[in-house]
Amino acid sequence: MALPPIVLILVFVGLPIVTALLYSLGHTGGLNSVTATIAQHQHVATSWWGTLDAYREVLTNARLQRDLALTVTVTVVSTVAVMLVAFGIALYQRLSDSRLAKALAVLAIVPMFIPVVIGSWAILLFYSGTGFVRTALAQIGVEGPVWAYTQTAIIIGSVWTSLPFAVLMISSGVQAVPDAVIEASRDAGASLARTVWSVILPMATVPVIIAATFTAIGVLGSFTVPYFTGPNAPTMLGVDINNYFSSFNQPQQSVVMAFVVFALASVIGAAYVWANFRTAAKAVR
Amino acid sequence: MGRVALRGLLAVAVITLCLFVFGPLLWLASQAFATSWTYPNLLPDGLTTRWWKVVLDDPALGAAVQNSLTFAPLTVLISALVCLPAAYAFARREFPGRRAMLIGLFATNAFPKMGLFATMASLFYALNLMQTVLGILIVHVIGTVVFMTWIPAAAFASVPRSLEEAARDAGAKPLRVFFTVTLPLALPGIAVAAIMSFLASFDEAQGTYLVGAPDYMTMPTQMYSLILNYPPQVAAVFSIMLSVPSVLLLLLVRKHVMGGHLAEGFQIR
Amino acid sequence: MTTQAARATDGLRITGLVKRFGDRTVVDDLDLTVHPGELVSLLGPSGCGKTTTLRMVAGFLAADGGSIEIEGKDVVGLPPERRPSAMVFQNYALWPHMTVFKNVAYPLRLRRLPKHEVTDRVEHVLGLVNLLHHRDSRPATISGGEQQRAALARALVQEPQLLLLDEPLSNLDAKLRVKVREDIRELQQRLGITTVLVTHDQDEALSMSDRIAVMNGGRIEQVSAPDELYTDPRTEFVAGFVGQLNSLPGRLVGGRLVPEEGLLTGVRPEDVRLIPVDEPGASAAGHAPQDRLRGRVVRVVPRGAFHELVVEVEDRTLHSLAVGQSLPVGQEVYVDLARPLLFRDGRRLQER
Repeated sequence: MALPPIVLILVFVGLPIVTALLYSLGHTGGLNSVTATIAQHQHVATSWWGTLDAYREVLTNARLQRDLALTVTVTVVSTVAVMLVAFGIALYQRLSDSRLAKALAVLAIVPMFIPVVIGSWAILLFYSGTGFVRTALAQIGVEGPVWAYTQTAIIIGSVWTSLPFAVLMISSGVQAVPDAVIEASRDAGASLARTVWSVILPMATVPVIIAATFTAIGVLGSFTVPYFTGPNAPTMLGVDINNYFSSFNQPQQSVVMAFVVFALASVIGAAYVWANFRTAAKAVR
Repeated sequence: MGRVALRGLLAVAVITLCLFVFGPLLWLASQAFATSWTYPNLLPDGLTTRWWKVVLDDPALGAAVQNSLTFAPLTVLISALVCLPAAYAFARREFPGRRAMLIGLFATNAFPKMGLFATMASLFYALNLMQTVLGILIVHVIGTVVFMTWIPAAAFASVPRSLEEAARDAGAKPLRVFFTVTLPLALPGIAVAAIMSFLASFDEAQGTYLVGAPDYMTMPTQMYSLILNYPPQVAAVFSIMLSVPSVLLLLLVRKHVMGGHLAEGFQIR
Repeated sequence: MTTQAARATDGLRITGLVKRFGDRTVVDDLDLTVHPGELVSLLGPSGCGKTTTLRMVAGFLAADGGSIEIEGKDVVGLPPERRPSAMVFQNYALWPHMTVFKNVAYPLRLRRLPKHEVTDRVEHVLGLVNLLHHRDSRPATISGGEQQRAALARALVQEPQLLLLDEPLSNLDAKLRVKVREDIRELQQRLGITTVLVTHDQDEALSMSDRIAVMNGGRIEQVSAPDELYTDPRTEFVAGFVGQLNSLPGRLVGGRLVPEEGLLTGVRPEDVRLIPVDEPGASAAGHAPQDRLRGRVVRVVPRGAFHELVVEVEDRTLHSLAVGQSLPVGQEVYVDLARPLLFRDGRRLQER
């Protein structure tokens, strides 16, 4: 029964990943032959296992190095920001029964229902030279910043699109902390901040880690947000992957970058798997 | 004093968040009715519905709307048929490689989509799937597999076994038990998975463009060319239209239904 | 021929039942016969195999050996839906998405009975358990006691040849428990349903059962009527599990304890009589003072109609029940032990 989706994934995701890996190592035959005949700047395998020339080219390219740095920076900053905001919302919702708190949690989920294309574009217009932020500030005589086509806009866009998932995950984790546990901590003389830090946060660790890993992996490989809101250069690797594939006609370099991103994502993913197994181990009776 | 300061801080935070989330959307939506807009005026130069006519009269855009509204429900349906039995198996049976498969699904989800499409194209050429509806549906469905497997698996797992046993005891065969007890009780979780899948499919642009363009354009793929080739007002109109189905979905689902099931689903057991 | 006929009269007959989980034997060569219309309890501490036995009878667990016959028909190998038994689950297992009526009607609908017959039978059973007014309620909206009755109705409506009750009262509060167990017992006797009840609560077993099977370590230690189980326990485990027991090493000889390897004397608290040493005529009764156990009251626990006295005798404590006048703490007493139960290596010796 478990087979159909696994087969589907193996054929249409697993197989392309494997051929992509072979191609990145310079194997141009088989399924890669169609792509390889029209590709430019290809590194063809010289030994039985292939060649690392394509990786060497990508990783030593100064421009791509800057893009890699930007990708990592945006990922780290966005993830931290998303976690802080999401945890704040979740906490407010947990500790306050007010209607405002509930409304806030719903509000934070709205971006999930807006297609990313629209979200990115809306953010671009909002923070552009003639956008709302500068217009509003101009009313009081302040020359506002232009964030459109900058790294800041990419971060804003990433936070905007990633917030709903993080809020949902962390909220449910924080909601699951029983009242009695919080009250017992307050009763023992702990301040609210102390209670949050030493009781609520540790009890919600797993959902927080899951939210953080999914946010980070999502931002790391993102294309739409940096494509619309970010600068032409430097840009994020997701955009480079697209450009090298469809504009520069260098699919091999594009695939190599995909593996670089995948390698980074795997490191983050390891945290996710670890967090899950920790709970699974605890759940075993 | 401290209390007042805290309340003030809270108010600022709430307003900032509202502005952060809704500001761009409202700003974009208001463009749809503006003749033009001169910086630094707070209000547009004039109001018009001209841009709506442009969009509604463009047959290509109409086709995109139709395509999107066809592909998304189809994707959800296919994904459910393919993934729900697997979700049940993951929840109720212990089989070799179970955990490896769950992690494998997660890993494939972590591979950047664009890098995947780069070599997927060759495969699609080889299988004659380029420029076909089936090809587009495959691209969409693989983007929903994680949701459709994980979230319903958690929902199935949370149905107490004793409820199923009670049905067996009452005389129901296993298949009957599934359809009268297990499935109805797991339905809220499955609904959440369906919504997530619908949104994922509705949002998919790169893969659809790669496989379907120019024959099969969907709303998001049209959006790319609209933004690049038309005045912003036209794209704004189209944005509003593109948001309608999703926002309707948002209004339909209750927030308390969403959170728990989603969170449950994203924990591998 | 005669054995066939005799078997056909048994409501439930379990022979040589075995269940292993890995290398652990949970149910070990178990035999049990329940007569038609009889209520037999499986009583024992958690982990003794009573629930495992019940689940094998219901068909949720496959037996590793032995046979299970319901009204003469072997059901081993049949899936639960094809066994003529109906079970009331510990947590009731009512389907939350169906009303009480639909929950109870479910087994009948499966049997494709005509609609009016389903309605008639469901309403009849709901009347029996006094739940007609909650016909259209969802399980989550009714009380624990009502859920319990709904679960019972769902089992009864199947008119099972065998009714299985898995700790049916454990989720009810103390007061309700007494009432519900009387209700269930009354209904079971009126309908004459062969019933197996699993419980760890001796009060429940004693008050509801025709016979009780005390289980320990996957085996049945004793099957007896409630009275007999208390007055005539066959093992030390049964004596200790059913009712309170003072355990003393050795044997009673002329009012004194004489140590003896492997021997153990058990005395019920009501058989421990305390006589204040300063009471007139205390020393005259029975044995000479030097032949009697002597102790001191160290604690008095009021238990409503009686008092429980804790007495220190030499280096051990004994429990005694006193009706009416209690004794003050610190009182020096002679301790007389009546009706001692003598055990050798855990097995009862039939001598007094």
